[in-house]
Amino acid sequence: MLQAQDVHFCIKNQPIIDQASVNLRPGELTVLVGPNGAGKSTLFKILAGENPCKHGTVRYNGRSIHQYKTKELARIRAVMPQHSELTFPFRAIEVVEMGLFASGSDRSGEIIREVMDATETWHLREKLYGNLSGGEKQRIQFARVLAQVWEPKPFPRYIMLDEPVSSMDIAFQHKAMNILQSVKERNVAVLVILHDLNMTAHYADRVVLLKKGLIYKQGSVEDTITSENLAWVFDHPIRVIPGTDSAAPFVQTNPNFIEKLSLTLS
Amino acid sequence: MTVNTISQTKTELQAKVLLGLGVGLLVLAFLSLSVGAFSIPLGNVLSIISSQLGVNFADFTAQQSNVLLQIRLPRLLLAILVGGGLGITGASLQGLFRNPLVEPGLIGVSTGGALFAVIFIVFGASIPAWHYLGPFALPLAAFIGGLLNTYIVYRIASQFGKTDISLLILSGVALNALSGALIGLVLFYADDAAIRNFTFWSLGDLGGANWTKVGIGFLLIVGPVVFLLSQFRNLNALAIGENEAFHMGVDVQKTKIILLVASAVIVGTAVSMSGTIGFVGLVVPHLLRLTFGADHRLILPGSFLLGAILLTGADILARTIVMPAEMPIGIITAIMGAPFFVWLILRFKKIRY
Repeated sequence: MLQAQDVHFCIKNQPIIDQASVNLRPGELTVLVGPNGAGKSTLFKILAGENPCKHGTVRYNGRSIHQYKTKELARIRAVMPQHSELTFPFRAIEVVEMGLFASGSDRSGEIIREVMDATETWHLREKLYGNLSGGEKQRIQFARVLAQVWEPKPFPRYIMLDEPVSSMDIAFQHKAMNILQSVKERNVAVLVILHDLNMTAHYADRVVLLKKGLIYKQGSVEDTITSENLAWVFDHPIRVIPGTDSAAPFVQTNPNFIEKLSLTLS
Repeated sequence: MTVNTISQTKTELQAKVLLGLGVGLLVLAFLSLSVGAFSIPLGNVLSIISSQLGVNFADFTAQQSNVLLQIRLPRLLLAILVGGGLGITGASLQGLFRNPLVEPGLIGVSTGGALFAVIFIVFGASIPAWHYLGPFALPLAAFIGGLLNTYIVYRIASQFGKTDISLLILSGVALNALSGALIGLVLFYADDAAIRNFTFWSLGDLGGANWTKVGIGFLLIVGPVVFLLSQFRNLNALAIGENEAFHMGVDVQKTKIILLVASAVIVGTAVSMSGTIGFVGLVVPHLLRLTFGADHRLILPGSFLLGAILLTGADILARTIVMPAEMPIGIITAIMGAPFFVWLILRFKKIRY
């Protein structure tokens, strides 16, 4: 389990993340939701070990993140940042291969084939990364990050993705989320930042609502994805049609509000 | 087609490319030993070398043997060490800065090295501690100057793990201008005996090669080159980004330090032996990337070999174009390299990978 306790991060004495405590459990898909500038990416980077937190602790499998060497950490957690650009002409398959940097598995060939099949990028393998479309690039990066945690291991591992589906078409968005759902069954905890609230309601096991650097609420979809919570967090009228046994809650913004706003503007 | 066969074909291709470059260098090396103001036929070159190895043909003159062993061979070896060193340094720095326009000469590493070398030559006598270092003192001074400029450029141009190319080139321009002016200032105060000439430090020259220089160059360049060769996986990961490399398990800070220090040692040594020779480190990795892709497993050793080929070739031209006089080798590398650089900028403008 990943335990983050009372995490605090400041820039010029302005708290970006204040007293945040989050647990990521293997087998669970946690979605981080919040408006622009709420501190999602900052919290994400602290959990991933990219930013050190000023106060508070982050523990991976009971051991403080500072006690891990970079390579050890890479064997138990994979991270996909928002954008990755390459300046050199690497081919797509070479980018995916880099995901195996830390593990150096004997099965590297099979792993690469499997993740590229899963992300439907195998046919792009010989193309230069720079010549791919935005969505294809994202799928290649997704494959690279998957490769890092693909092989089953006896200890819990973590995969963290910052808006991984932002450039993908609707079909791939769902394919990607389905892949993550199957990955979490391999003793892996998944953390995703998403903007699509319906996607969140559909795939999340746990939701963390973040506003102005504070965790407003966290818990199951039923407890967090409600009209009141979302309206407060996003400062925007949002209506949630409660889910049933077979369907996730449906999130709807109030179009009338937009009309009124444009009227007052004109 | 499986991944394993793909990577096997790739490894075979890389081996073939390196073998080809190695053969090319060997051929050029013999040519370089043969041609010049005093021509030695290739057959005699072979027999002189084989007689050194114990197989005596004795069909050559003592003069031929002396020219070859005392002048041309050390000069050739220096060209290989310096050219190869500059080539692999260019490739490493480009990988570190994640930018294909970086080159030791452009970002001020070479001039920094030259400045400190000149300062040492002129004022070194008043610093007694340096004398203990003997012939290593000059390369060491150049190394410190090179490292200093690399560090300054890096600090100016990098923010949040990304290097801004315009800041990088501009800070390189500033440091080059300052270092160049300071070199001029130091030389202005030096007497003629202390300094051979300004051209040496600004345009480079392999003419001063001798076995002592080759020995020191070998000791100081081969080690860092081997170090750089071992960094290919880290450099590949760094190409995606510093944060991404960290997430994949690269100790980014350590890798940076290794790359910067090794590069500064190589460039500092090269500069102290042959002055500043520009554009080799820029052109070489690029030609390889254009043809064979970006994998540093090939780019690093390939850049060493191609850099050595390029400088050996340039040296042949430098010695033969205005025979029996010699042209500074930096003129030739710049005439070949500067248009290439312009072409590269134009290309960079059109497509970004």
